[in-house]
Amino acid sequence: MMKLDKFTKDKPYLFFLTSAIFLTLMISVLVGTVFWMAYPTVSKTGIIEFIFGTEWGKEGGSYGIWIFIVGTFYMTAVTMCMAVPLGLFTAIYLSEFAHSKVRSIMKSSIELLVGIPSVVYGIFGLFILKDYLRDYVNPLISNTLGSFIPLFHDSGGSGTGVFLASVILTIMVIPTIISIAENAMRSVSQEYREGSIALGTTKWETIQKIVIPTALPGIVAGITLGMTRAVGETMAIVMLLGNTYKIPTSIFDTGYAMTSKILNDITYHFANPEVCSALFGIAAVLFIIEAIFIGIIRIISSMCSSGGGRNA
Amino acid sequence: MRKRKFKQKLFIGVCGLSAVITASLLIFILGFIFMRAIPSLSWDYILTAEVDAGGFNEGIANAIVGTIILATTSVVVATPLALAVAVYMTEYSKENWFTKTLRFMIDLLAGMPSIVLGVIGFVLLVISLKYITGGFSLIAGAIALAILVLPTIERAAEESLKTVPRELKEGSMALGSTKWQCIQKIVVPYSLSGIITGVVLGIGRAAEESAVVVLTAGYTQFMPRLGLFPKEGVFMNTKLAPLQEGIASLPIAVYHSFEFSHMVPIENGFATATVLIAVVMMINLTAKTIAWKYRIG
Repeated sequence: MMKLDKFTKDKPYLFFLTSAIFLTLMISVLVGTVFWMAYPTVSKTGIIEFIFGTEWGKEGGSYGIWIFIVGTFYMTAVTMCMAVPLGLFTAIYLSEFAHSKVRSIMKSSIELLVGIPSVVYGIFGLFILKDYLRDYVNPLISNTLGSFIPLFHDSGGSGTGVFLASVILTIMVIPTIISIAENAMRSVSQEYREGSIALGTTKWETIQKIVIPTALPGIVAGITLGMTRAVGETMAIVMLLGNTYKIPTSIFDTGYAMTSKILNDITYHFANPEVCSALFGIAAVLFIIEAIFIGIIRIISSMCSSGGGRNA
Repeated sequence: MRKRKFKQKLFIGVCGLSAVITASLLIFILGFIFMRAIPSLSWDYILTAEVDAGGFNEGIANAIVGTIILATTSVVVATPLALAVAVYMTEYSKENWFTKTLRFMIDLLAGMPSIVLGVIGFVLLVISLKYITGGFSLIAGAIALAILVLPTIERAAEESLKTVPRELKEGSMALGSTKWQCIQKIVVPYSLSGIITGVVLGIGRAAEESAVVVLTAGYTQFMPRLGLFPKEGVFMNTKLAPLQEGIASLPIAVYHSFEFSHMVPIENGFATATVLIAVVMMINLTAKTIAWKYRIG
């Protein structure tokens, strides 16, 4: 009887259910479109050749996107090498050492960083930061580390390249890493800390051995979310990475990212179904990468809620 | 022990240094952009439409108006659906496979790179539905942006709906209200500030987006206009402006200073960027103020 009531007396239920079903269908259509559009060229090229091939637009309609995949991951890796230490140490400072007033000021200034649009980061990098890096920072790294490690060798150039793109991406992703990591660390129970200090450890040892391990799932989730942003970023990267069709050999070299390739080519080649489909192939790969990252985050957060790690 | 103390001091130093770097980034970036923008920044520049100013990016009034229209329209499109789904998720459904799937899909949508959403919008709305949307247009841009901001609004609304105390709902039910009356009179009004915060954040997110906009809304040097105009290849051979016309926006105006760098003085690019930052930050601050002022519990 109650169950029947729910449906007869409460017609709005149907409206809300329909909305939810509609959204599910809509997202399915969006995702389906990507794969449906990507299918012709990807199947013609062969999925292995499509991913690992290095030639875009070979005769016979075969497309390989390995250069773009490497470009994106190279840039993301360099970004993470800078963003993770900077973000984590800042998060530790905010959660463990800062006064509440300092913390609230710093947190709002970090939140404002998120409010700077990516296209603005792009022109900031291209017209301001590029010259400083090329004239001061690049030679410094290249002459010290670069003299014996080729990875850090700067062979000269306009200044655009992986390093410039990564510096800007670092600024774009640290707010994400900081806010999630700081929340995770602050939710570590105060008793754990007191217990550790009572055993005679220093504050740093407590942070290292107690706070960070306990907050680890949250920290990993923050880093993964930051990576999601770095991989998907388009507007800033198209301006900063150089868009040259090669695999970068050092961190100062130029490259080509997946997102940039799509943006640069789609409006010119939409009438050519073969190229258009290949570009959707890149979009499909990007989507799969993001889906994996989001899957990781979900697994981590479900582990947290069932593990009962936070009782603060 | 001395070694341990030293280690402790060292790491506190590193943490402090990182925090100082992070905190100074904002001032550093905003300062540089603003300094470069000063030569071009004037009321004349802000209040003149590009077409009247007589040069590429010599006026941005069209882009400012365009951004405001585009952002609000997209949120108007997204909010009803986002709110309905949020109500369904919090009030009507139990945790089951459907809600789990839906939640995962919303996460996927939130994490989808904007360029992917951009090309989908481009192919579906601009190319395939050209007969209805009129190609690059406000309507195509608004729908694509609506999809982009939907997860933002849905999550904020869901979080906010969850804060409604159980007692209030039970009290309402005990007085004989139906579930719908309870939602209408108790749940939504109680969580309204959170919902509005989400909506305002959605406007901010839509205003700063560029990859989706460049592929769906296009660009025009003209101010948005209202009326019916003849156009071949569109439904009834007539277009309804501004809905079926391309529309300018600030992020694309900024992008032009890269795309056509030989034609746009870079100071103008930074002036546009300054205005864009001001608009987005004002929107975000509004959201924060609403959230802070009506904080519940």
